[in-house]
Amino acid sequence: MTQKELLFSALRHEVTERAPWVPFAGVHAGALIGADAVELLTNEDVLVKALLEVNRLYKPDGQPVVFDLQLEAEILGCQLLWAKDGPPSVANHPLADTMTVPCRCTLPKPEDGRLPMVLSAMRRMKEAVGETTALYGLICGPFTLASHLRGNDIFMDMYDDEEYVKDLLGYCVDCGKLMSDYFIEAGMDVIAVVDPLVSQISSAHFEEFLTDPFADLFAHIKEKGAFSSFFVCGDATRNIEVMCKTKSDSISVDENVDILAAKAITDKYNILIGGNIPLTSIMLHGTQQDNMKYVVDLLAKVKEYKNLIIAPGCDMPYAVPIDNVIGITQAVLQTAEVREMVKNYVSVEDDIDIELPDYVHLTKPLVEVFTLDSATCAACTYMMGAANVAKEHFGDKIDMVEYKFTVKENIARCKKIGVKNLPSIYINGKLKFSSIIPSKEKLEAAINEVL
Amino acid sequence: MSILNEISENMQQGKAKVVKELVQQAVSEGYPAKQILEDGLLAGMSIIGEKFKNNDIFVPEVLVAARAMNMGAALLKPYLMEAGVKASGKVCIGTVKGDLHDIGKNLVKMMMEGKGLEVVDLGTDVLPEKFIETAREQDCQIICCSALLTTTMGVMEDVVDLADKAGIRDNIKIMVGGAPVTEAFCHKIGADKYSPDAASAADAAIEICKNLTIEQAERGSL
Repeated sequence: MTQKELLFSALRHEVTERAPWVPFAGVHAGALIGADAVELLTNEDVLVKALLEVNRLYKPDGQPVVFDLQLEAEILGCQLLWAKDGPPSVANHPLADTMTVPCRCTLPKPEDGRLPMVLSAMRRMKEAVGETTALYGLICGPFTLASHLRGNDIFMDMYDDEEYVKDLLGYCVDCGKLMSDYFIEAGMDVIAVVDPLVSQISSAHFEEFLTDPFADLFAHIKEKGAFSSFFVCGDATRNIEVMCKTKSDSISVDENVDILAAKAITDKYNILIGGNIPLTSIMLHGTQQDNMKYVVDLLAKVKEYKNLIIAPGCDMPYAVPIDNVIGITQAVLQTAEVREMVKNYVSVEDDIDIELPDYVHLTKPLVEVFTLDSATCAACTYMMGAANVAKEHFGDKIDMVEYKFTVKENIARCKKIGVKNLPSIYINGKLKFSSIIPSKEKLEAAINEVL
Repeated sequence: MSILNEISENMQQGKAKVVKELVQQAVSEGYPAKQILEDGLLAGMSIIGEKFKNNDIFVPEVLVAARAMNMGAALLKPYLMEAGVKASGKVCIGTVKGDLHDIGKNLVKMMMEGKGLEVVDLGTDVLPEKFIETAREQDCQIICCSALLTTTMGVMEDVVDLADKAGIRDNIKIMVGGAPVTEAFCHKIGADKYSPDAASAADAAIEICKNLTIEQAERGSL
């Protein structure tokens, strides 16, 4: 079973051998190749290169191609404020001073705005990884799109002119249907309707204004043969049940939602739920161990791998440390080993006496590879592979050793040296490569420096 | 039900027109403007704040209630001025540079107004210099910074640094809030107060203004 098939199986609500993993690497994808958010979201080659890097490093079962909720708004006349380390923001609202619904003739066409670039990137991703990775096309949800167009007055309009709100939402749903069609045609397997503003209204308002439009949109996606997902950011706890009634195949929730309580509701409707690794406290500011622990703890709380996807709470911040996401990847792919490792990390006492080499007086360079376990962890396998290639090249001129984190003595060693992330390579006691697998040339150059 | 309760009830339901009529009626019946404000409008807004904090109501409900409150308050304004009723304090608020999100900032503003504070709204995408300049020129006791993005919350530290350099920290306090902001972050950047939600922010602001007034009086009497 390929990783894509695993995710499809989960989306069909079957029990799977492990929980699927869908990293929401939006602008963060750019960070992997040193590109800023503007380059990433406007340059097709940069975008594809970054997405392939996400695919290589994070081994996703499913992967969003573009996470930019402003794509449609830009085409429909909103100006954008661009940032280098975040997605753009809508800077003005074309309908702020006029309670009108635009003509359907203004709806996005494949040649409008950044759509040609995005659609082409989708096709290239489909070609490159589409056999094994499920690809997500993200569209802006109708309520958030309506607020992009109308501004915050949309909330007052819900009291002052219900019919207007319904008409405007109808326009936005038509936009969503067209975008879904374009994305499905470009090879997207899952259409995610991303509507962060849903968390800001009551379930009574949801039912009055959003139930029909969303149900209509999800039915359309199903009819076109794709899976659907309903992404919501913020605290949508009160709206999980009404969201379920719109019949998407899956729902993805943010960190402020108690995912297990929410899962009890989604399970009633046999809908898959995804989430909800905290973006700031864990992913951005936590350690690799924090990230691993969060995931293994969450997985320990479900009785079987059914109707659950592991994903960040929302679009990952640009500067999330790569090590942290690799840690999550390991926790999803090798849950049992990582659980053991996290447990050991906490429990290993400093009384295991480890003697470190005398790094200053080594007779030849010492390459130490710290891994979770190169036999089971994918990233570790690559890191160890790179080290083995170097060892072959340098032969007896260097010493090389692997320390697997599954052995308690090695954990004590890691603590003594100060290893924070796995896998990593130290040369003569100094950290040289952390999580990112070095190219043959880079590793050889680093060794040559101390030869 | 007393007319002041009626004002509060209708305000909570966002019935702006009714609130306006009731406030006018209360004035005609001889209720002091201060009492109409405090026991009618602000009492209603306090309940709204509490319900919002507990997730019993959401953004649209708060917005329409605040609109009703503002309509009633506008009608009361000349009477309050005539009676010499002053605001409980003055703050300036804005979403920091690079960030255009204003729903949260607007909610905090409304809750603060609902507690009787005067609020200078600087809007979104506000430069650190603008916060400092406004607070000084308009005699604000608090600068409130909002951010929704992990990438813009760092600007709050610039506001704190600039306030340090300007030497105004004794008289002007800095409050921070927004989805990614935490107590630890507030502490790290040296801001004075973090609030997790709009209603708590309004309570905290009232407390800060009260303490500042006492401190300033003590300093003055030394």
